Amino acid sequence: MTKVRKEEIKKVVRDGYAKIVKQNSSCCTPANSCCCNADLAQDMSKKVGYTDEELKAVPENSNLGLGCGNPVAIASLKEGETVLDLGSGAGFDCFLAANKVGKNGRVIGVDMTPEMVDKARSNARNDNYENVEFRLGEIENLPVADNSVDVVISNCVINLSPDKERVFREAFRVLKPDGRLMISDMVLLKELPDFIKNSVEAYIGCLSGAVMRNEYVEGIKRAGFQDIRIIDEKSSPLDYIFNDANASAIIENLEIPSEKMKEVSSSVISIKVSGIKPNKKCDIELT
Amino acid sequence: MKRDLMDILACPMCKCDLELEAVEGDEEIITGTLYCAKCDEFYPIEEGIPNLLPPDFRR
Repeated sequence: MTKVRKEEIKKVVRDGYAKIVKQNSSCCTPANSCCCNADLAQDMSKKVGYTDEELKAVPENSNLGLGCGNPVAIASLKEGETVLDLGSGAGFDCFLAANKVGKNGRVIGVDMTPEMVDKARSNARNDNYENVEFRLGEIENLPVADNSVDVVISNCVINLSPDKERVFREAFRVLKPDGRLMISDMVLLKELPDFIKNSVEAYIGCLSGAVMRNEYVEGIKRAGFQDIRIIDEKSSPLDYIFNDANASAIIENLEIPSEKMKEVSSSVISIKVSGIKPNKKCDIELT
Repeated sequence: MKRDLMDILACPMCKCDLELEAVEGDEEIITGTLYCAKCDEFYPIEEGIPNLLPPDFRR
C-alpha cells in the first residue's frame, strides 16, 4: 500500500468516526432518549460478553456499541497494572479497565479522532475517574515510552489501520518484558468481494480493512510476540455489526442484496487474541 | 493530562522523552506544550488533552 493511500485511509476513518460521535451526542441529550442508540449499544455489548455489572459501572455515554467486544482482556487485568487502549473511542474499555486496575493502576487511551478523545475526557471528568488519561495519537506512532505498560488492549480497531504490522510492532515496543497484548478484532476467513473491498463505508464499518486471520496472527508473531493464542472466535459478527444504526446505513448505501450479505457474513469473524512480550533475560538464561 | 504520566509519554516520532511546559494547571495540566528536543517539535496540550498526533497528520 502506498504512503498516500495509507494517509487517505486514516483521514477517511478519522472523519467517519468523528461523524459517529456527533450523531451520537446530538440525539443523546438527557431529555431525549427515544432516538438514541444507547440501548442498542448496551444490548450489543451484552451479546459480546460484557456483564450487566460492568456496563452499569462505566459512564453511560462511553459505550458507543462500536466494538466487537474484549471482556476477556478486561477480566485479565490486575490491581495496579498500567494499561494502554489502542483506539479508545469514547472510553468504554478504558473505564472498565480503570475499575479493574484500581487507584494504583493507570489506564491510557489513545485515539486519533479529536471528537472521540473530547468525549472520552468529558466522560472521565463527569464520573471522576482519576486513573484514566486520554491522548490524541496514532496507534501506528504511539506517543508512549518503551517498556512502560503491562497490558495493551484494543477492541475492534486495528482492522482500521492501513499498517497493522506497524501497530503490532508499536504495541510490542511499549510493553514491558512479560507484558501482554490482549486484543479483539475482525478478521477474514476468505477474501471479500471487490465491491465491499473498495467501499469507504465498509472500511469504516470494520469490514474492508480486515485481513485474513493467518495474516493477522503472523503479523503479531513477526512483531516479536510469543505464546500467541486465539482465545475466542465468533462467526457471523455481521449480525451485530449490521444491527448497528451506522452499519445498516452502510448496507443501504452500498445497495447490497441480502444473499450477497450472507456470503460476506460467512467470510468475516471476530477473534480475541493474546500474546506475550518475551523477557529476553529469561530466554538467555534458559539457552 | 496528569504531570505524573510524563514518565510513560514519548515523542510519537523518535520516542525520546518530552519536555513539559505547563501554561495552565500544575499536577493536572490543562494548557501547555510538550517539546521534543531531538525532532525540534512542539506538541500542544489543549483542554487537558495532549495532541500527540504526528505533525503531518494534525488538523
